[in-house]
Amino acid sequence: MKRNSILAAALCAATALTSPAFAETVLRLDEVAVGELDPAKASDYADSILMFNVYDTLVLPQQGGPGHVPHLASGWTVEGSTYTFTLRNDVTFQSGNPLRAEDVVYSIERSQALGAGLSYLLTGVSAEAVDEHTVVFTLEQPYAPFVASLVRLPIVDKALVEANKGDDEWGETFLSANGAGTGAYTVRSHNPQEETVMAKNDGYFLGVADVAPDTVRLRYGLEAATVRTLIAQGEHDISSQWLPPEVMSALADDGAQLLSETGTGAFYLKMNTTKPPLDDVNCRLALSHAFDYGTAIQMVAITDEVSAGSAATGAIPVGMFGSNGPDMVQEQNLEKAAEYLAACAYDPADMNIEVSWIAEVPLEERFALLFQSNLSQLGIQSEIQKLPWALFAEQVSKPENTPHISQIFVNAVTGDPDTLLYGMYHSSTPGTWQSPEYLNDSQVDAFLDAGRTAATDEEREAAYSGLNARLMETAPTIYGFDRQSVFAASNRVKAPALSDPSQAFGLDGMGFSFRLMEMVAE
Amino acid sequence: MSPVLRLLMRRLGISLIVLIGVSMLIFAIARIIPGDPARIALGPNATPEQVTNLRAEMHLDEPLVLQYGYFLVDISRGDLGTSLYTNRPVTLDIAQFLPATLELVLVAGIIMVALGLPLGILAARHRGRWPDHLVRIFSLLTVSAPSFVWAVILMLLFAFYLPIFPIAGRISDIYEIERTTGFLLIDTLLAGNFTAFGDAFRHLILPAVALALSGIGQAARLTRANMVETYDKPYIEMAQAYGFFPSRIARIYAFKPSLIPSLTIIGLDFAAMLGNAFLVEAVFAWPGLSRYGVAVILRKDLNAIMGTVLIIALTFLIVNIIVDLLIAFLNPRIRHSTRAN
Repeated sequence: MKRNSILAAALCAATALTSPAFAETVLRLDEVAVGELDPAKASDYADSILMFNVYDTLVLPQQGGPGHVPHLASGWTVEGSTYTFTLRNDVTFQSGNPLRAEDVVYSIERSQALGAGLSYLLTGVSAEAVDEHTVVFTLEQPYAPFVASLVRLPIVDKALVEANKGDDEWGETFLSANGAGTGAYTVRSHNPQEETVMAKNDGYFLGVADVAPDTVRLRYGLEAATVRTLIAQGEHDISSQWLPPEVMSALADDGAQLLSETGTGAFYLKMNTTKPPLDDVNCRLALSHAFDYGTAIQMVAITDEVSAGSAATGAIPVGMFGSNGPDMVQEQNLEKAAEYLAACAYDPADMNIEVSWIAEVPLEERFALLFQSNLSQLGIQSEIQKLPWALFAEQVSKPENTPHISQIFVNAVTGDPDTLLYGMYHSSTPGTWQSPEYLNDSQVDAFLDAGRTAATDEEREAAYSGLNARLMETAPTIYGFDRQSVFAASNRVKAPALSDPSQAFGLDGMGFSFRLMEMVAE
Repeated sequence: MSPVLRLLMRRLGISLIVLIGVSMLIFAIARIIPGDPARIALGPNATPEQVTNLRAEMHLDEPLVLQYGYFLVDISRGDLGTSLYTNRPVTLDIAQFLPATLELVLVAGIIMVALGLPLGILAARHRGRWPDHLVRIFSLLTVSAPSFVWAVILMLLFAFYLPIFPIAGRISDIYEIERTTGFLLIDTLLAGNFTAFGDAFRHLILPAVALALSGIGQAARLTRANMVETYDKPYIEMAQAYGFFPSRIARIYAFKPSLIPSLTIIGLDFAAMLGNAFLVEAVFAWPGLSRYGVAVILRKDLNAIMGTVLIIALTFLIVNIIVDLLIAFLNPRIRHSTRAN
């Protein structure tokens, strides 16, 4: 008996020594610039990552397909311009306060009052708490993508903000440093220039799997060389999408996995349709056919299989309402370009096309050089202009100051084509960074308005198909490629929403829902 | 009033005037940089109405003189406004980021002095021989390459190929140290956590060396040149004729008078490191004020630009005053002069 006890004790000790001790799993990733923690001010990628993990929204995009599914809401009904949402009754904020309809009303009113970030998506919407778990939204005008817009309305804990708002009417100081959501991760610390540390919220209403990272450290502003070394040292897990393709490629060669988030945006070369010679549609069509689409995609290729871009098939990225099929890939056609150029009212010998690129996005310089060489194939002179973002945003506010060609990456912030295309092409929104084309086309306006107010998906598909055809006809833009974000990652992490198309959200940043990730031993 | 005290008062007076001049200059320059701060702050998706509202809130539509008036009123209350980059009070940002840069620059400064001056003395004592040649080649190399190049080279050598030193941040994630002073070397000691102190020190080595290298070369070259000149003075010849030890001649009779011009340049180098540290801070993900300064300039964050530049200017002036006092201490002609200047 005594001998057995000794054996059992020895076995237990051996097991204890050989079994891996329970250790906290830490996910480290990086993003550019600072992370904005206040959900009403969130607009860029880092902000979105924070927002989607610390806060929740009434609906979520359907994973792997179109449409939206209830999230904080248990369901909704639509009657004309009135949307009635019923809230789940099992949700509590990280503070322990229960989720109530008044929190939803407070969140939308706060967003509208601050007027920052993506609050413009909710302009003209009023909200009313009918009872504790029912909220009614009333729209001033019909707006088909309203439900899609709700993915940008994170719900804030009203009671917590009110208790901590101090002198701020809307608790801006408090929310710029603290979380007040229902999300799967709580904010442990936030230094806007260094990192935000988040920890798993054990009280999350959907539960968080044990394999999800216990702690997440989102670092800001790491240099490419630093990320390269950190991943090689095993001290970093997921890079930002802004690493140069060569660095991504080197990391992939070293065994890193490549994750991707299929974009709802694209890379555009926008033509100023008010400035000669681009006020002539034939000239614009000539330039559209001269652009070397194939080489552009090769320039953002990371490996033979993975690229930060896929071939554009028209004016609308593949997968959105109205997009063309994959058989309509854009290709360079110099013969057609020469034909259109011959029909252009301007003499190519007199042309000097300004091709601008944004100084903060060095990748764009390569496309500017590519396009310059394409133009020289047509005998057109061009000059490349490097414009800091601030200067570009100012210049495009006047058509005469806007360069002939403005290179821009644009994404649909809700995943809906309306948020991508309306701001670009509707004649009521000229002269913004999205609309340096200054397009003024009644048919385009009509299609955009129809897409915005259509009652059914079929009607929207028809409207955007018409829009796509009209845009290809009038060629205000060269549709370089459909964009997808690529991230280099260590093999310690599995991220199905960033690697399996059937689980992808189709919304920038939402693939970084840490609760859906899995930390594994290498 | 003693000459040194008079010198100090005079320097303080001049510094105040310089600071006011800098504030006016930067206030004007920051507003000339192309781009609308409100548009940049609100991001690419903001509507024209949102931009207009923020411009009004920031008084950007009012005359420049009036805007400067608002700035003076605020700064007299110790309020530098809110940063549009971090959405936090600028004073909070500076309080958080300045200690990181000061710690880095102080350690780099110590390395610069501790290596630069002895190398200069060594080269001067053995001028024309191989130690001199080696120091001159080293100095040339370090002076000719900017600090960010050294940062990347050091990272490659001592982190990528030989994983000896950490390369990101100020301390490893496993340590949670209460930030009492913001200087992690001090805070870890205050917490009695010597392992964390060692970790924070290891994090400092590569960025500090990268930042100090060009200063080391400059200090060595300058010290050597001054000492070589001093060695030709008749009193050194006399000391040699008396049979004093070469080390004594070098240390007391040649080095001390040579230190005065070197000290001025070292002081300026030291202060300049505050502004130049941003690339090293960027490479090593060092959350310091220089990196913050560059980020806010690129985003035309007016309040933060003013705050950062004023703090750097103030530090520059303080370092200059300290150098002046040190020189007065080393040079009896200044120390005992009735004119003190």
